[in-house]
Amino acid sequence: MSKSVKIALAGNPNSGKTTLFNALTGSEQYVGNWPGVTVEKKDGILAGHKEVIIQDLPGIYSLSPYSIEEKVSRRFLVEEGPDAILNIVDGTNIERNLYFSTQLAELGLPMVMAVNMMDVVKRNGDKIDFEKIAKALRCEVVGISALKNEGGMEAAEKVVEMAKKSVVEKGPGKLPDVPHVFSGSVEHAIAHIEESIQGKVPLRSIRWYAIKVFERDREIIKKLDIGVGEMKHIEEHIRDCEKELGDDAESIITSQRYEFIKKLMDKSLALNEKRKDKATLSDKIDKFVTHRILALPIFILSLCVMWFLAVAEHGPGTVLTDWANDGFLADGWHLPFTTHECREEGKYKGMEFEDAQGEFAKAEATVAAWEAGEKKASIEDEETGEIAEEWDIDEAAYNAAKEFEEPDPGQFGVWVPGLGALITEALDRAHVNDTVKSLVVDGAWGGVATVLGFVPVIFIVFLFLAFLEDCGYMARVAFIMDRLLRRFGLSGKSFIPMLVGKGCGVPAVMAARAIENERARRMTVILATFVPCGAKTVIIAMFAALFFREQWYVAAMMDVVGIAIIILGGIALKKTRFFAGEASSFVLELPAYHMPTVSGVWHHTWNRLKGYILKAGLVIFPACVFLWFIMHFDWSLNLLADEEIEKSILHDLGSWIAWIFEPLGFGSWQGAAASVSAEIAKEQATATLKLVTVGMEGVSSGAHIQNFFAALGDFPKLAALSFMMFNLFVPPCMVAIAVTFREMGSQKWGWFAIGFQLFVGYVLALSVYRLGVLFAGGGFGIWTALALVLDAFCLWAIVRRGHS
Amino acid sequence: MNASSLVVLAVIGILFALAVWRVAKKGAPCECGGSHKNCSRKSGCSCCDCCGD
Repeated sequence: MSKSVKIALAGNPNSGKTTLFNALTGSEQYVGNWPGVTVEKKDGILAGHKEVIIQDLPGIYSLSPYSIEEKVSRRFLVEEGPDAILNIVDGTNIERNLYFSTQLAELGLPMVMAVNMMDVVKRNGDKIDFEKIAKALRCEVVGISALKNEGGMEAAEKVVEMAKKSVVEKGPGKLPDVPHVFSGSVEHAIAHIEESIQGKVPLRSIRWYAIKVFERDREIIKKLDIGVGEMKHIEEHIRDCEKELGDDAESIITSQRYEFIKKLMDKSLALNEKRKDKATLSDKIDKFVTHRILALPIFILSLCVMWFLAVAEHGPGTVLTDWANDGFLADGWHLPFTTHECREEGKYKGMEFEDAQGEFAKAEATVAAWEAGEKKASIEDEETGEIAEEWDIDEAAYNAAKEFEEPDPGQFGVWVPGLGALITEALDRAHVNDTVKSLVVDGAWGGVATVLGFVPVIFIVFLFLAFLEDCGYMARVAFIMDRLLRRFGLSGKSFIPMLVGKGCGVPAVMAARAIENERARRMTVILATFVPCGAKTVIIAMFAALFFREQWYVAAMMDVVGIAIIILGGIALKKTRFFAGEASSFVLELPAYHMPTVSGVWHHTWNRLKGYILKAGLVIFPACVFLWFIMHFDWSLNLLADEEIEKSILHDLGSWIAWIFEPLGFGSWQGAAASVSAEIAKEQATATLKLVTVGMEGVSSGAHIQNFFAALGDFPKLAALSFMMFNLFVPPCMVAIAVTFREMGSQKWGWFAIGFQLFVGYVLALSVYRLGVLFAGGGFGIWTALALVLDAFCLWAIVRRGHS
Repeated sequence: MNASSLVVLAVIGILFALAVWRVAKKGAPCECGGSHKNCSRKSGCSCCDCCGD
């Protein structure tokens, strides 16, 4: 069996390593157009080369051991030792990228430099002389475009060839041919250090170790265990250099590296003369997008555009959601461009399908009201649950109404039956009994369909985010937030996990690992999940569709509220002795804007969307089946009829804790069951709400949830808003909670995080409902007073003088 | 309960058991397209490290 070859993929943050890694290995690692996406190294097998392992390292600027990413990369490159390095370099910013490349070259490993984004370099009219760079850095240089999948495999094959050659030739033998970039006196000192440490380090990396000793890198000096006398001698050489050059050793190395790169660039980089002193398109866009005053409104505006497209009435998200909820997953739909007026003889001739349905609903209401002894009949609005129309009835109207038959959709165009209708029909044909039918239709299918029905909204949100991310805007958002957060003593580094958290809270909590400072890291873990994730998007979408159709901005406000909690919560936490301290440094490089590729955006969107569709089948389905059982059985496991639901296990469990939600406006067993079950997965709240309200008495079909909130009191919209905010801002789902506990490092800190999130979510929902009721004229009560006291406490926690 | 009802109940039961088994074995599906517990690098799940596998 042949020995495996290890290739390290190393480069600056956001230079395209993970994109290249995915292209080379066929992996689907998460790629983000902002720095810090890769915190730990990831392995993959090079496509077509089973024996070659590609290792994607976190992006770093140097091999100094300051950040977690630098430590991870340095440990691997120096201690574990790959067989070769594939150094990926951003061709549009080559001068700055070469700073890291010079250090990699000093490691003495075979190296291929892949100059990425060559398509952009060529488009800009710039020219890079690869030969001169290769000669200066003693490595191979090739041009690639990772995004367009051009040249990456050639670069990889070249580095594999070099690695295999090196494995054969490897031995203690000779010194490697590495670049010498420093002035005479520094090279002299380095040569002395090399002599002193010979035999203690692999010969090929001796120069790199010597330079680190020159820089007085404590970790390396400790590792090499240099004797006191020898170290004294080395120190003399270093001090001589410092005296001669008037700077400290580390700065001498840094500045001489840059001087070397500058000279190399003068020879090998020819910038387009026309473009040289002109502001680039990215610069021009950034003037507005990162403007001191305009930046934040532009960010909020972009969120508003996203939510407008997703949930505004008649917007693409709403149209598609209505089609999915009412058509595809429910009764069925007419094929577009085939609809026409009814041509069949009868009561519906010349009518559109919707009008015929309305006429039939009125006829049904007339018959029901007359048979109940009423003199008036009415129909409810399916969306709002309110009475939409009321009319007088008599015997003649009753007799006429009795002759109406349900309109056949097939008479109004080509009718495609929905999945719900097909399931119901199949169960009816098989003469399945009503209980099993309820389990399938209301329990299993009902829950899954509720979540799937909002996939169009999630799709639009993810598509929009993927576009913003891939074009480079999200990196600007991190920059804007850094500027804002820094004013309050927080670092923009904490905002990167929060950007990741828009997709899922689990990787968001995980991304906080990149923060070196323990206090800042813990605070980030606590705050990261306040950004509504994709699962919470389902909750927002449902409530926007049911209660806030004309107020689409309520959905956008949930993101804004999430960010506000992060800022205000961060300020409050920073003022406690547990989190006080300086904000950690945050180096952020803004990538040039570019038009995202269709495949890139689709890849991002589909990967995220796929997770939700799978989750509907794997998590929501069993949860709904379980909830249906405990809703239809009592404690003695007797099957209950629909009107006996109040004896059910679920009813009892919900009722025991319903008092907790009473102050929030949804203190019923249904509200409690939905909120608690949301810990399985956040979107479960919507599925449970549908399941537990479906059997409510006096509730017309299609308006269960609206009627449930209407039955709770005089302020159904406020109760709905309170329910939504509670479920958005309390602790995330079970998986994210488990990860939070692990990342916090102790049970005590884990419980602190959960307690803080619970407090924030509860206070927010309480304040929204109780103060909303107060302003709507609902009066002042003990809960209003409690809300005001808690708000005052929060305000105090934010504005008080904290620990320095 | 008639035979067809029992068949439907059995199908739901099997699907329920399969879903629970799958989640217990591999973890909940992840936004990256993998699963929260299926952390083999082969699956391409970017949540590998966060799941502690």
